[in-house]
Amino acid sequence: MTVLKKALITGVTGQDGSYLAELLLEKGYEVHGLKRRASSFNTERVDHLYQDPHNPHQRFHLHYGDLTDSGNLIRLVQEIQPDEIYNLGAMSHVAVSFEQPEYAADADGIGTLRLLEAIRILGLSKKTRFYQASTSELYGLVQEIPQKETTPFYPRSPYAVAKLYAYWITVNYREAYGIYACNGILFNHESPRRGETFVTRKITRGIARIKEGLDDCLYLGNIDSLRDWGHSRDYVQMQWLMLQQDKPQDFVIATGRQIKVRAFVELTCKYAGIDIRWEGSGVDEKGVDTATGKVIVAVDPRYFRPTEVETLLGDPSKAKRELGWTPTTTVEELAKEMVENDLDNARREKLQREHGFKIVGAHE
Amino acid sequence: MSRKALICGVSGQDGAYLAKALLDKGYEVTGTSRDAMASSFASLEKLGIRSAVRTLSMATNDFRSVLNALETSQATEVYNLAGQTSVGLSFEQPVETMDSIMGGVLSLLEAIRFTKRSIKFYNAGSSECFGDTGGTPADENAIFQPRSPYAVAKASSHWLVRNYRESYGLFACTGVLFNHESPLRPSRFVTQKIIRAAASIAAGQSEFLHLGNCEIQRDWGWAPDYVEAMWMMLQQSEPEDIVIATGRTVSLEYFVEQSFRFFGLDSKQHVKTDPSLLRPSEIMVGRADPRRAFEKLGWKASTDVDGVIARMCESAKESLAKGALRP
Repeated sequence: MTVLKKALITGVTGQDGSYLAELLLEKGYEVHGLKRRASSFNTERVDHLYQDPHNPHQRFHLHYGDLTDSGNLIRLVQEIQPDEIYNLGAMSHVAVSFEQPEYAADADGIGTLRLLEAIRILGLSKKTRFYQASTSELYGLVQEIPQKETTPFYPRSPYAVAKLYAYWITVNYREAYGIYACNGILFNHESPRRGETFVTRKITRGIARIKEGLDDCLYLGNIDSLRDWGHSRDYVQMQWLMLQQDKPQDFVIATGRQIKVRAFVELTCKYAGIDIRWEGSGVDEKGVDTATGKVIVAVDPRYFRPTEVETLLGDPSKAKRELGWTPTTTVEELAKEMVENDLDNARREKLQREHGFKIVGAHE
Repeated sequence: MSRKALICGVSGQDGAYLAKALLDKGYEVTGTSRDAMASSFASLEKLGIRSAVRTLSMATNDFRSVLNALETSQATEVYNLAGQTSVGLSFEQPVETMDSIMGGVLSLLEAIRFTKRSIKFYNAGSSECFGDTGGTPADENAIFQPRSPYAVAKASSHWLVRNYRESYGLFACTGVLFNHESPLRPSRFVTQKIIRAAASIAAGQSEFLHLGNCEIQRDWGWAPDYVEAMWMMLQQSEPEDIVIATGRTVSLEYFVEQSFRFFGLDSKQHVKTDPSLLRPSEIMVGRADPRRAFEKLGWKASTDVDGVIARMCESAKESLAKGALRP
């Protein structure tokens, strides 16, 4: 009987964690995920993977854990003895990091260090491979276009600074202790499972709700930001690939193509069957539904960041050259998949409302 | 009315010299330490300024204590020199290193924002952020390649200061200081370790000095010069991050030879290499280009490594004569 490979995923309840868990289960791994204790359920994205603990062949396990708790992490790594750790857990929202900078530093920065220390303390430096979810936000105020593995960093938010710490401490533990540890520098990656407060999901969800008559107007921050958007499902393939090589290396993971936030709005409208036109400029710019003449998109300066990241464009050629990886989903296909999912959700809610159910949705 | 300054981490080498420099300029100086009641403030004693400095307890990771220090001192200039300072120790205590360095900077920046007072903030950066510079001297535009938990924490706090300056318009800047030494250095630092060993070997109290890698090269300057640069950085009209160094880099071997020569000794007969003292990842060369400091601040190091060695050796010799030299 072959011994199953074991993986530990922090952040398994998030977008990437859920896609990665699916991928690793398909590949025959035993998958362990960390979930934070909360007073409400927070496992919606992995509920479809749930396996009964009474099943002797259970291969998917969730453990209570927290990146701010060293003892908890050491104990879990000791119990699981993972072959691979994917550190996807983080306070992952850039704008929120300006409100909670210390928590971002603790969870995203020291959290990474705690996991690396757990590997070291338990004598697993030769056994356990480590993947760190690094981010294109490290490039912030970009020093060259496009950004590749050798581009200098210029982080522009407490989130990005915390991730910078995590990036370098991962490199340091690789160099100092020979741990197979590497960084995937992921550019924005989205999916129908993206959190509702991230801009792409906010757009597809907002437009879908407007389409179904549930909302009137979508308020956005800087709609001229340029981003390189890929599909999370493609990107987790690369996360796994990075841990299967002879030696650990850092890679940029991106599509190599960028569009503006406003273009993402236009794509979303197109797939939702809305014809949108822009009027005015700056903070007074409005997106108008040409069929109804109603304003459906407006700018709200509240969503501007204290320091903006204007443009991000990744150069994924090293990933292609060395690991044969290329993204398969275009931003058009991504927007389509996301808005179709959100239209489904909106129709479900509309139906419930029509049948007299009271629904109080979450608001940002 | 005299100007008021707060020095976080006043019990260390730089804190003591900075306190002295600011007192000489007529400042009212408040200094903090994690436990001001338990701390001996030996460096302040040595400089004869213990009673001139008001001392307070402040833990940078405790927001209340940071606010209290800002309030009590009523400082318009805050110098953050606190935090774990040893590269070697950072491999043993990486979490504490990160917490005290980056957590400390973050608390101070947040507390300054919170008070809404117009406070100028100096943060102690480090040349360790550059990693191995090789033959190219590092200036303000050189990229960071940190190679120890200490350096990674310092690099993060450097960016945080820059981020708060750009996001909130705080007068906040980082001095990227290359190595700077003085008789106030504890023996945990290699320069003082070498000099005290040479002095004690010369006095017949010991025979050998054990070192790790002697081939490393550094730019060593005189700490009292460097605290002057810190003050100058806060007197500018615009905050800016600046590299502070002498511009001359020599090997540790050179430092050892010259120190032993001062005491009439041949280092080759007394120095042994001990592999257990090697660091998990080591920077081979640290080389600096301090031109910006001269252009912008008019600052220039008063002496280089030779002067540093001579002054530290003189001091060790005096301590030896007084029977106060501890290896």
